[in-house]
Amino acid sequence: MTTASEDESAPSRIDEEDESLKLESDVELLKRAWQNEKGAPEILEYQSALVRRTSQQIHLMEDLIEELTKRGDDPLIVSIYQMDLDRTQFLLRSYLRIRLQKIEAAMLHVAKTDLWNRLSRQEHNFAQRCIEDMGSHMDESVLSKLPSGYQSNLKQSNASDEDDMVPEPNLNTFVFCKRQNSIGAIPLDDSGDEIVDLVAGTHVCFSYIFGLLLHVCALFSKPEDGGHC
Amino acid sequence: MEQGEMYGRRGCQLVKELASAEPGQLTRFNDDLFNQVIKECNVHYSQFYELTRKMQEEGLDVQSTRNADHFGMLIHHLSLLRNKRCLMAYMYKRADILRSLSWKVGRVLPPEIEGKLSDIEKHYFKNHASTLQFYMREMDCLDLTVDMVPPKDPYIKVRVLEDIGVTAIGDKDTNLARHSIHFLKCTDAEPYIRQGMMEELLG
Repeated sequence: MTTASEDESAPSRIDEEDESLKLESDVELLKRAWQNEKGAPEILEYQSALVRRTSQQIHLMEDLIEELTKRGDDPLIVSIYQMDLDRTQFLLRSYLRIRLQKIEAAMLHVAKTDLWNRLSRQEHNFAQRCIEDMGSHMDESVLSKLPSGYQSNLKQSNASDEDDMVPEPNLNTFVFCKRQNSIGAIPLDDSGDEIVDLVAGTHVCFSYIFGLLLHVCALFSKPEDGGHC
Repeated sequence: MEQGEMYGRRGCQLVKELASAEPGQLTRFNDDLFNQVIKECNVHYSQFYELTRKMQEEGLDVQSTRNADHFGMLIHHLSLLRNKRCLMAYMYKRADILRSLSWKVGRVLPPEIEGKLSDIEKHYFKNHASTLQFYMREMDCLDLTVDMVPPKDPYIKVRVLEDIGVTAIGDKDTNLARHSIHFLKCTDAEPYIRQGMMEELLG
């Protein structure tokens, strides 16, 4: 994994070369977080430090561009900085947007499971409001008009043992992954006839839930390897 | 329900209407059919209740007896559930489309879409748009409804299609008169392009 910038405090002077180096490594991290979020069917852990650093760096870049424009610097250089800034802003916006859309699609499921712990504070508020909006929408349009015992948003009726009306994301969707560290040979079935050799740098495609299983096995079998898609 | 009318047929029609629409497009809210399904649910319930009363009057244990009346009750219960699921699916799928619309058009619905919604749906759209606004404000006013595609050029050439008038673009005022051509930042032009008030000039 690329090492992230450890400096969390905002620099007092804009050191242009330093800044653009830091921006690069954080942008790579953000790009990876964005790719993972895009590909995974369920919501992943919120990268709060990364988002905070990226926002700070975006503000600094905006100030820098303004300063350079005022100074009348070479417009080509300014537009290159601007394009870099636009790319980073797109990544950040898209990352947050994908997460919100995942929350919208499975709001009740997220609220009921461990997935809730992967959300930021602002996402918690968003999810809460989404659930209230949807709840009152269903109540007003359908549930209040149905007979008593059938008015639950979560259960089909009072006869249901569990919340059988909560949609869940499909964890069997296939994802493409790139190995970062080698795990070695993994058997695909019980007989051991079919194996897959997971070497660093290779691309593989399997169902998301199988990938999660491999990740857990890797953590337990070779603790120093770790690594993830 | 009329004699010989199949249970759940109307609920099925409602869902078919959803399925036959273009993906992402809304049809006019079918008030009539919707209310008929609700009415059917309540008829099922009252017939279910009648059968319960009948069994109790006959001195039978409602929970454990397995006679024709019990199975009649089961059919009413299951039909009710099916109708409930159809109604919820109809509302939920339409709400889904409304939510994805609020990402595209912001807080103001185009009139041709507004005409297809029930009052309750219009209310839901407003609520959701303000929930989204609330989140964006909490995130330091970061606008998440722009920048929907990866940026190619930071600036684009646009022609104004409708008379928008003098508007603050960035930190200066620009006269967005009809047919005028401007060189704007992508993120400034995007909301206007999406609402059809500007078009991008390529080449």
